Amino acid sequence: MKDIDGQNPSAPSDPISAWRLHAIFFFFCAGFVYVAFGLGYRQLFQSVDLTSQSDNQSRRVVIQPSSRGKIFDRNGYVLVDNRVRWSVKADLLALQPEFRKEYLELLKQEKARVPDRRPDYDQLQQTARLNVLNAWLTKIWFVIDSTNQKVKKGAAKVKSTPDLHPEERMVHPDALKKHLTERRALKFPLILDLAFLNSGHAVTPEEGNRAVARFIEQFPVHGPITLEADMVRSYPNGKLASHVLGYVRDSDVLKGQLDDVVDDEFVNLQKLGYSGKKGADGIEATYNEVLSGHCGWQLWTKTSSGYNKDLLRFDAPKQGSDVGLSLDTKIQKSAEDALAKIVDSQGKPLPAAAVMLDVNTGEILALASQPSFNPNEMADRVTQAYFHQVNSEGGWLNRATQGLYAPGSTFKLITATAGMRAGKIDWDDILDCGPSYLVGGRAFPEHEPSGYGQVDLEKMLAVSCNVWNYQVGLKTGPENLAKEARRFGLDAPLLQKPAEHDNHSTTELPNPATHMVVPDRAYKQRVTGQPWTDGDTANTSIGQGYLLTTPLHMACVAASIARGETRTTPTIIHDPGRDGRHAGAEPIGLTTPQLQALREGMLRCVEEGTAKSVRIPGLPYAAKTGTSEYIKNGEKAHLAWIVGYAPADNPVVAFCVLVEGQLDTSTWGGKTAGPVARDMILAWQTAADKKDK
Amino acid sequence: MDNNRQGAKASYVALVFFLGLWMILPSAVRRFNREAFAEFQAPALHLVGKGRDLARYWELKSRSPEELTAAARDLARINAALELKIHSLDDARKENLRLREMLRYPKTEEFVTVVARVSIRETSSWWQRIIIRKGRSDGVRPGCPVVFGDRVIGRVSIVHLTTSEVDLVTSPVFRCTAFLEGDEQYHVVHVSGQAGLALSAPRALVSIIPLDYSPPAGQVAKVMTTGLGGVFPSGLTLGTLETGVQSTAEKHLQTGALTPAKELSFIQEVSVLIPKYPTAGEILLTPADSAKPEEFR
Repeated sequence: MKDIDGQNPSAPSDPISAWRLHAIFFFFCAGFVYVAFGLGYRQLFQSVDLTSQSDNQSRRVVIQPSSRGKIFDRNGYVLVDNRVRWSVKADLLALQPEFRKEYLELLKQEKARVPDRRPDYDQLQQTARLNVLNAWLTKIWFVIDSTNQKVKKGAAKVKSTPDLHPEERMVHPDALKKHLTERRALKFPLILDLAFLNSGHAVTPEEGNRAVARFIEQFPVHGPITLEADMVRSYPNGKLASHVLGYVRDSDVLKGQLDDVVDDEFVNLQKLGYSGKKGADGIEATYNEVLSGHCGWQLWTKTSSGYNKDLLRFDAPKQGSDVGLSLDTKIQKSAEDALAKIVDSQGKPLPAAAVMLDVNTGEILALASQPSFNPNEMADRVTQAYFHQVNSEGGWLNRATQGLYAPGSTFKLITATAGMRAGKIDWDDILDCGPSYLVGGRAFPEHEPSGYGQVDLEKMLAVSCNVWNYQVGLKTGPENLAKEARRFGLDAPLLQKPAEHDNHSTTELPNPATHMVVPDRAYKQRVTGQPWTDGDTANTSIGQGYLLTTPLHMACVAASIARGETRTTPTIIHDPGRDGRHAGAEPIGLTTPQLQALREGMLRCVEEGTAKSVRIPGLPYAAKTGTSEYIKNGEKAHLAWIVGYAPADNPVVAFCVLVEGQLDTSTWGGKTAGPVARDMILAWQTAADKKDK
Repeated sequence: MDNNRQGAKASYVALVFFLGLWMILPSAVRRFNREAFAEFQAPALHLVGKGRDLARYWELKSRSPEELTAAARDLARINAALELKIHSLDDARKENLRLREMLRYPKTEEFVTVVARVSIRETSSWWQRIIIRKGRSDGVRPGCPVVFGDRVIGRVSIVHLTTSEVDLVTSPVFRCTAFLEGDEQYHVVHVSGQAGLALSAPRALVSIIPLDYSPPAGQVAKVMTTGLGGVFPSGLTLGTLETGVQSTAEKHLQTGALTPAKELSFIQEVSVLIPKYPTAGEILLTPADSAKPEEFR
């Protein structure tokens, strides 16, 4: 078979062509082998890693914060609880078709409006989303506001939701933008806390429930808008014990609360979390780890645009543990109610603090500080206005544990003890006490213009004689006074947690005062660069001068005297098995008659002395009042004190009340602080009587 | 043989054509077709219901005179008891009226009651939907509560001219709020139907029950409507918590299984409570062209 030229047509026209064919064949084969080998390698050797990478890219873990544990008082009464929060949320993935439709409509309008300019596509998308969400919000408000229910002509329409500015009922563009950037996969909250009064969505609790019920019963069940319930912090008693309980704030930091599975198995997966809550003050902060519990998690597949698609696995969050406080709600309430009655000339409550503790165990039964704050206002989202209001009133300061004050005449208990222990005075020694006492050429006054005449220890405590203390203080000397004050722990930090507590906070309440001042010669030299004088000793002997301490410290002094010891370790945590031993405590070091006279003097203070106006018939108790001076805004003002214990013959509770007077000198220990102590003792007695029955 | 193949091919083509056509038809046309089919089907549904009533009638008719006598005797007793009850209720009604007048309390005649026979059950969702023989022509509107005595049966979901479809309490699209018997603080709980397994007992879930709630000792707690949602009157019985309540996985709330108040499988007659004035949700469900825009604020 040859053609007209005598050549075979099927033979290659060129011998090199065959070589080329072989080369091409070789390259193809090599390529095929390479691909096959590569696939095999990936399948056999890299499959685990690649699968993991694929999973990491297509799945995410959503962390769900747990509910915090409850806080109870010593009788099991709930002080801090969790309540259901109903929130209306939008499923952004389900709303995608609506967003798209709105976007195309806006794009069309924009192109028709400005044909020559390139539209801002991102802005249009954002506007489209806002328009759609606002349209849904309008519908939601239309349904939940019962004013929209048509009623018979003439029937009254009751407004069920607050009159909000229309803008407050619209989606905030920044909030949406932030959500899309940070939490696109989660549902977008349109209305947070629908039923709660403080959230501004309901006028009354009933109307809050009504709004929830109307949404549930009238809004379409299946759709992009859902009503979800979660748990948030609730303080059923409002302001009660707010400085002890504290409050919570939003927290994205969920470390330490994650399940081990999340930490280990999902280590490389993207994690997304709802905002959790973290203790910001009080027990909520210092026992945060105990109260927090463990977060739950959900394993989701995600879409290419970052939304959650299918739920694969989940684990429910685990609620935190409960904390039992030593507080007694009834005594606490009586203390706060009594403090609230102490007002200035404008009717504004004066800054004050009150403490009552168990003499034997040191457990704090009441710890109140005024002004305070309502933790419910902070449970979800605190407003700037409320924060500033509390700030301007000085409401954040826990005056019972953080406030530093000159103890005034309540310090005379220490002066007397120091004098007797130093052998400078005895319980039955009588000193001549005139209207003043000359110290270093300066007359130190008595608060009674005519003086008290012949005064012994008991009378001194009953009438709070200054001159007696000037004399004893000067005889005893500043070093002995300081030593005795330190023996009673006036410079020791309180509320330290036991060492075995595995906790971030080392104290039971946040930031208790640590800069108490028990002055001596070295202190004055260090601080002022000047030498100590007899005048300083006289001032110290009546609790003035450089002395600074807290109401909790003075309550501990009263409890220690009641037990005949020097130290009391206060605690806010209730433990029924507490043995009543106090760290660093030693016997008071007085003879029986001396201690008896000290106690008798405190009893006479109530029965016939400076606290006579607040004696309780049938319930004798021991107390020492104090009225110290301090400078407020450049003017002289009084601090009113009362410390003591009750009952006088068999002490069970010790107390201390402090009131910061205003720019006048009408505030006095017995008159101003006394009624608070009396009310606390009565509340304790009522509770004790009930328990006995 | 070839003709058969040709015919089969043509029918497949026709099927695909009609499916395609159905998909691209405007929603209004599709809705019209659905409505038209429902109305076309309605007489058959009526017939089924009436046939069942007739069968029941003949079944009763075939009873022996002794049985009928016994039944008549029983009925007479029941009648006598009901007469007494009517008298006592009449007294209560008068007392109620007197107190209302004294307090100038507004009258709350918010619902019109329409009694309807159950025509048929949706076989595709046995426990979840029934069809009743009252419709738009009788004033029935979507969303109306459906009750039997003081017990909730469900809610009207779709209304045709002479028939209506009712989602039962156990339907996954049913939800409402409730109070629990024994809860002195009247916490609002959530009731929602659950899609149960085929042929399994109907069920609904009661959720968001506070942890401190426990049913009254020695009795099964009733679940009652709140009346807060503007749809159901207050105090109607949704069912009972026969199996008690259990805490959730996180142990901060409780849930319970609701046993519906009425044996839903035997129900033959119900009452539709038609609100005198449409609820906001009802207005929302109304197609956009008929809703008045000024009603949305």
